[in-house]
Amino acid sequence: MQVLILDIVTTAAILFAVSCGLLISFGVLKIINFAHGAFLTIGGYSALVVTQMGWDPLLAYPFSLLVGLVLGAAVERFIVKPLYDRPLDAILATWGLGIVISQVITIVFGRGVQFVQSPVTGAVELFDGSYSVYRLAATGGAVIIGGLLALLMHRTRLGLNARAVIMNENLAQALGINSSSVRLIAFGLGAGLASLAGAIITPLSSVDPNMGVPWLVNAFMLVLVAGSSLLALLIGSVVLGGLQLVISTYGSPILGGLTIAVAAALLLRIRPKGFVLD
Amino acid sequence: MAIEMTSTAPIIRSLPWGKGAVVAVLAVASLIGPYVLDPYLVNVLIRSFFYASVALTVDLLWGYTGILTFGQSTFFGIGAYAAALVFTHVGFDPGMVWLALVGGVAVAVAVAGLVGWLAFYYGASPLYIAVVTLVLPIVATQLVLSGGTFTGSSSGLVGFTVIDLGIEAWFSIAAGGLLVLTVATWIFVNSEMGRLLVAIRDNEQRCQYLGISSSRVKTYLMMATAAVAAMAGFGYANFTMVVAPEMTGFVFGTELVIWVALGGRGTLIGPVVGTILLDVVSAYLSGSMPFVWKLAIGSVFVGVILFLPNGLVPMVGNFIRGGLRRVGMWWPEAVAVADITPMAHGIEGAQAYTDAPALDISHLEKRFGSLTVLEDINLVTRPGELVSLVGPNGAGKTTLIRCLSDGFERTSGSVIINGNTLDRQPPYDCVAFGVGRKFQAANVFDSLTVAECLRLARNRHEPLSAIRRSRVLNLPEPAVRVIRTTGLDKIMGTEARHLSHGMKQALELSMVLALEPSILMLDEPTAGLTKAERHLIGDILVDLAKHDAFCILLVEHDLDFVRQISTRVVVLHHGRIVLDGSVADVVGSELVQQVYAGSGKFGERK
Amino acid sequence: MSRSRPEASLRGRLAAIPSRRAFLGAAMVLASAVSLPAQAQETIKIGVPVGLSGANSVVAPSVVQSAELAVEEINAAGGVLGKKLELVVADDGSGAAGAQKAFDQLVFRDKVNVLISMETSAARNAGLPIVSRGKVPFIYTSFYEGRSCNKYLYVDAWVPDQQVAPIVDHFMDKNSAKTFFLVGSDYAFGRGMLEFSRKYIESRGGKILGEEYAPMDATDWTPIISKIRSANPDALITSTAGGAPNVTLTKQLRAAGIDKLYGNLAVDEGTAKSMGADATGIYISASYLTSIDSAENKTFLAAMGKKFGSGLKTPNDLSVPQYEAVYLYKAAVEKVGGTDAEKIIDVLDDVSFKGPRGVIQMSKQRHAPLTMYLGQVKPDGSVEVIASFADVDPGDQCPNLK
Repeated sequence: MQVLILDIVTTAAILFAVSCGLLISFGVLKIINFAHGAFLTIGGYSALVVTQMGWDPLLAYPFSLLVGLVLGAAVERFIVKPLYDRPLDAILATWGLGIVISQVITIVFGRGVQFVQSPVTGAVELFDGSYSVYRLAATGGAVIIGGLLALLMHRTRLGLNARAVIMNENLAQALGINSSSVRLIAFGLGAGLASLAGAIITPLSSVDPNMGVPWLVNAFMLVLVAGSSLLALLIGSVVLGGLQLVISTYGSPILGGLTIAVAAALLLRIRPKGFVLD
Repeated sequence: MAIEMTSTAPIIRSLPWGKGAVVAVLAVASLIGPYVLDPYLVNVLIRSFFYASVALTVDLLWGYTGILTFGQSTFFGIGAYAAALVFTHVGFDPGMVWLALVGGVAVAVAVAGLVGWLAFYYGASPLYIAVVTLVLPIVATQLVLSGGTFTGSSSGLVGFTVIDLGIEAWFSIAAGGLLVLTVATWIFVNSEMGRLLVAIRDNEQRCQYLGISSSRVKTYLMMATAAVAAMAGFGYANFTMVVAPEMTGFVFGTELVIWVALGGRGTLIGPVVGTILLDVVSAYLSGSMPFVWKLAIGSVFVGVILFLPNGLVPMVGNFIRGGLRRVGMWWPEAVAVADITPMAHGIEGAQAYTDAPALDISHLEKRFGSLTVLEDINLVTRPGELVSLVGPNGAGKTTLIRCLSDGFERTSGSVIINGNTLDRQPPYDCVAFGVGRKFQAANVFDSLTVAECLRLARNRHEPLSAIRRSRVLNLPEPAVRVIRTTGLDKIMGTEARHLSHGMKQALELSMVLALEPSILMLDEPTAGLTKAERHLIGDILVDLAKHDAFCILLVEHDLDFVRQISTRVVVLHHGRIVLDGSVADVVGSELVQQVYAGSGKFGERK
Repeated sequence: MSRSRPEASLRGRLAAIPSRRAFLGAAMVLASAVSLPAQAQETIKIGVPVGLSGANSVVAPSVVQSAELAVEEINAAGGVLGKKLELVVADDGSGAAGAQKAFDQLVFRDKVNVLISMETSAARNAGLPIVSRGKVPFIYTSFYEGRSCNKYLYVDAWVPDQQVAPIVDHFMDKNSAKTFFLVGSDYAFGRGMLEFSRKYIESRGGKILGEEYAPMDATDWTPIISKIRSANPDALITSTAGGAPNVTLTKQLRAAGIDKLYGNLAVDEGTAKSMGADATGIYISASYLTSIDSAENKTFLAAMGKKFGSGLKTPNDLSVPQYEAVYLYKAAVEKVGGTDAEKIIDVLDDVSFKGPRGVIQMSKQRHAPLTMYLGQVKPDGSVEVIASFADVDPGDQCPNLK
């Protein structure tokens, strides 16, 4: 039981880390970045570059965040911005971009699985058994990311502007907020966080050109049920991630693999607001 | 009263000989193709034809109706697996062929119905719909994978006996089927129903307020396209004698979207040509350099979405047409001009005058979170009344209209419309109760012609046809008066997007009048119109209230206008009714002066 | 329309009604037009449909390389019956739809004389109807879950009957393991391997404490790992999809501190190497390991190194059978004195070749008895051969084919 709770907490934390970047860009731009999986992959390969250069494995995190930020901002300017008034086309364009990114990675790094150095390894004794240190560390990382994001959104000018745009873009513009730059920063930050998450999951995941794909649908669904609220994303990650784990443990992992997608779709049908409170 | 439009003849008759000739040539080609083409190409083409059939369904959903779907592959897979499963586990005989085909189509249609229920509820965001269609193939693939020896799991099923036909026959079936499907789709998209799809894509909200359940239309469309995709899958499995999980998968689903996008969404030739061309070219090229091929496809796809949203085939088509025109070999079709023929057919059964309330609102409230927009609204209006809702900006006038025409809008309170208690019901139910709503900003269908917009507005009285377009437009007298006076009748064939702002307003008003409502809710109906037009609209409204016993709710800023036509004025302030009385009561009221003091003079437009 | 059993009917139908399949007729006319003046054909074409993209794209380049080496060696020694061999490689996308294209292209456009390839089961299955239609011998060179039978199909790689026993026997006899936990990806190979493993372990008196499957693209093995931990088996046997699932499971097992005996039925040397320290200690069972100590293997490795230099993809259990299959086909052509498909099919089980894996002859119901090696991954990523088992029989794979 204790292990199950621990599993749920760590799973939810990893889901949160993987989805929060998507949430930021979805909240502000109202489009789903279908290249999210590709940005996770970019993060994994950023960590690979750090390993290959022989740098300290801890450097993988700031490095991947930076790479994601820069690429994300470029994508926003050149691909997403022209499609502001065509949201479905924007998700298609980001989908196409995802294809391009994974092919470029394939051509540059090869199709194979890569080895990435991890800063922490091994297991720790916990509840009459051993538990993965890295899962615990990743949980800590997710908590830090979530905390910093909450601070950013609620304690800074940028966050205030972002929240204004999330609530009512026209009104925000009327109040003199440059929504174009808020969008740029939000998309860049979203991509940066996705890339960071990609680096965070490398010790648990395979680093290959398609590493982001399996996370994609779960991240989409979590963001849809979370609307644009970090708190709702946290609730969604815990509830749906927990449900997935319980179904995998007591039912079958195959059903478990579909749990988040199916449960979220049903939830949205019954309660379109998802996990957003009020 | 009817307006005859000589330009919109029944589609079948308007099929020009040129298009007929093309169809005939293609039909012959589908018969002789396999004898003249290289066998490898024949093999590739047969598969491409099946793919193109599914791509057409994606185009109908996405290009025409605006439903971005990644899930059509699942219906294709269901059809394919129906054949494979029945032939493998039950056996093969002619009866089984029908069982498999009918069973596959039935399952596909049922699943599509389920998806429709899940995705197309009133108010669902297009993003949610897209993601649901993405989840569908993922679930389907997982089910196939976990099916063990029953479904063949990842290896798929192979070696089952299939319908025994030669390669020529398969070519003719696939090509002929695609041709028939394309022609049928062409007829459909050019029919009144087809225009409805475009209307949903352009402006789903307006469809709802024309009494059309767009959710139901989309669900039926999805079910129909699922049936077509399942049939294509069935044919594909019989031809290739193999099924595999990837046929149901989302990679194939997205590939279909890519083909349609590159070919040209919203056209029929584009997706068909695009699919065949890309699939054949990839058969020749991708074998040797798969990654570069995918990179190229991905890049071109992004480029097309960004710069050529209408796709490549229409661009090529325009280029050729432009060239032909320059050398004088091609003329654009004549712009349709509508001819009006008055008919003795007036408005059907004007409402009998009764004193029963048209609208009975009690304790209505609307809150956004902690913000209260409307509070304790109590109002009863009767047929024959022309009630103007006035008040400063932000008083809640438009919100009130919204709460009366969409059952999901209000937070609490009861609304009774013509004796029908309004539950949590979508706008099209309110239309059925007799409500006609005109929006503040002109709300029409940009891609449709004036005549088409009006025809859709008549859907509740004359069901839309799926195969033809009516020559005659029967409209109630008030609508015709608006149309004639504003000159809309001179431009019946013009797309609404090309209309001036005032003309759009007039068009929307005539569409609402075409609904033959008993309660009219008009949000600044005369904004943007000339003084003369405004007068005319005023006359019409007064007439409707007086003679036809309409109950009219008017949101208006122009006090002169209000004074001229209203029988009653309701003043809203901070979400409450502060005054409800005759024109004289309100104009002389000190309270009203105070209400408007903070936000400009009463009667002054924002 | 006809009513009959699947496999037999397919062939029966094709043989019985050639006129209705005029396409076939056309193909045969073309084939005879090409092969009648035998001298007119300059080369013997070998079609290699392989997953250059998709799931198999990691291993496909090594497969192509070993085929290229075989062709080069044979051509340098004068070819076959005086003709040069020519390779035609086509991407099958590692899936059914791609395979149909690739097989169509090779059989009907390039008109290859034989197909020799390592593919996914889905791709192989998708190709078989085309092979039957085009009547082309097909040597399948990938290990697989077994029991794929077709008149034109031969297999020179292992099946579960050959591969599972070495690991299980070693665990039970040398490590006195009694309880096992099985983990697989939910696909044909994963289920096929574990099903066989379960039966084999139970027949030897071992106990299965759990058998769990995860989706093919699973990235998170947490619930299964928790189950393993609470079941506490003596040994773990896994058969996951190649590439990512293999890597994620191993990484997460190690991260969770599970240090049981670990037999992996699906990992190859290259992947083991890319996992770094996490792979250390894993037992694998294969018909080929680079460390096999034989003259043929050393010659082969040296030739590969010389031909491909720094671009060399490490030869493995999927690429070496490809190399040997080219030689087996050469032997069959020389025995028949031509490339006639029916005759080649008749003699393919009679010919043998001594390659890096030893003497290979596909003599048991279209499959080959093989020498199997039990290896263990060392900290540096290399695989040490612990034991070998000579001529392990593939068992009853296709009893209806001789």
